[in-house]
Amino acid sequence: MTVPRGPQPFPGQEKRLRLLAFVRQDSIVRVDKRVEDTAMVWPHLLVIEFIAAMVWALGLFVVAALFNAPLMDRANVDRTPNPSKAPWYFLNLQELLLHMNAALAGVIVPTAWIVFMMTIPYIDRSREGVGVWFTSQKGKTVAVFSAVYSTVLTVGLVAADFFLKKAGYAEWATAHLPGGKLIIPDVVIPVLVMLILPVVLVVLLKRLYQANTREWMIGVWTGFLATYVVLTFIGTSMRGPGMDLFAPWALPPTHD
Amino acid sequence: MLEVPAQVWQKVKTNYIWRSLFRHGYPDSRKNQSLAVFTNVFLHLHPVKVRRHALAIPYTWCMGGLSFFLFLVLTLTGTLLMFYYHPVSAAVPGADDAYQDIKDLETVVIFGQFLRNMHRWAAHGMVITVFLHMIRVFYTGSYKPPREFNWVVGTLLFVVTLVLSYTGYLLPWDQLAIWAVTVGMNMVGATPFVGDEVRFLFLGGFEVGGNALLRFYVLHCVALPVIAGFLMAIHFWRIRKDGGISGPL
Repeated sequence: MTVPRGPQPFPGQEKRLRLLAFVRQDSIVRVDKRVEDTAMVWPHLLVIEFIAAMVWALGLFVVAALFNAPLMDRANVDRTPNPSKAPWYFLNLQELLLHMNAALAGVIVPTAWIVFMMTIPYIDRSREGVGVWFTSQKGKTVAVFSAVYSTVLTVGLVAADFFLKKAGYAEWATAHLPGGKLIIPDVVIPVLVMLILPVVLVVLLKRLYQANTREWMIGVWTGFLATYVVLTFIGTSMRGPGMDLFAPWALPPTHD
Repeated sequence: MLEVPAQVWQKVKTNYIWRSLFRHGYPDSRKNQSLAVFTNVFLHLHPVKVRRHALAIPYTWCMGGLSFFLFLVLTLTGTLLMFYYHPVSAAVPGADDAYQDIKDLETVVIFGQFLRNMHRWAAHGMVITVFLHMIRVFYTGSYKPPREFNWVVGTLLFVVTLVLSYTGYLLPWDQLAIWAVTVGMNMVGATPFVGDEVRFLFLGGFEVGGNALLRFYVLHCVALPVIAGFLMAIHFWRIRKDGGISGPL
């Protein structure tokens, strides 16, 4: 029997090598970083998780003790509350519904947005800025610009719709436009607005800030967030009976 | 003085049963801290080590973890609520039905109101935490390679969260519930080409009635939590496989 070179194992404890795992470069704990850059999960991460869970559990207890979940009268299909509203996180879509065709507002726009959201990482494929809030100072500037742009335009569009309706635009459209109110005001104009305004935003960001893909993506995403928040707020606090527009502090109560 | 408890502790730790439960000593050494994480089924989703910046609340906001925490709270309170709830709509007002169950929860069941409040507020909370988590992930560029697919899974989880919350909205069977769901279902009914069919599929009829309540109940308590569970398993697994929590290159 040939004796292998090197230190000899104790009898019964001969070491053999096995392939335990195949680990891709990306998955390994940071070969290019030193040990000091890492922390043990036990206790450092687990302590944070435990405290966070306890604080939230306590907070939830307090909220649940102080505020009761709403419960109205028994469901009655013959009594329609005015206004009837969806849960708050869908009120942005219900707000869109007031301004355009129902299929567009309720189905096509949200579906298109979700699909777009899923394609974001396949459009913005650089690894630049991973793990850094807003990637760069320019990213922050872009986000602020886009937030202001989108808020102003969304509020402006809702206001424009309000005043146009007051001026009798719907009746005029029904009488004078081909297809009446159903085609140009309910489909064509909203689609154009929803396509053109984001494109204008991207072009502006490229012109003003020489935005790269990551930066204009921050712009588009921030635009979505701002629009979502503004529409949710309007839908929740500014739509009263008949889904008419009211000031948030003068919102009449719901009635049947 | 302290020798007796120390001896007892030593006895406990070397006890046959204890050692069958825990395959490692007290986690005060690197080795035992590592073993504590990867020999524990509840902790093994974590790596043994994380990058330091992953511990920073300003970086993660804790929102992914808190979304999962709220999901667990909702599963627990939801299961307890299921003991008191029949997904039945009565034709006669005053008869025993879902609405009466909620009334009983509020007035008869000990801590019933508290339980319902917890479930309700945690549900709203989860919509918010998932949304904030998504915001954090976007602005820190954490969807970038190699995490593209996990972003897609996360988007689906966001949708499932909204649908879970929405299906639960109908169950109290009060005016708020049925009219909110009617509004939503009318939006679904506007789907091009198949709107009426999809609406009928959800409602089991032409308006929000007993069949719709049963369908929403099954979706809310069984189908959607299972889907969410599957997606979460993939989501958490992929975090590890894609190199752990994102961070500066």
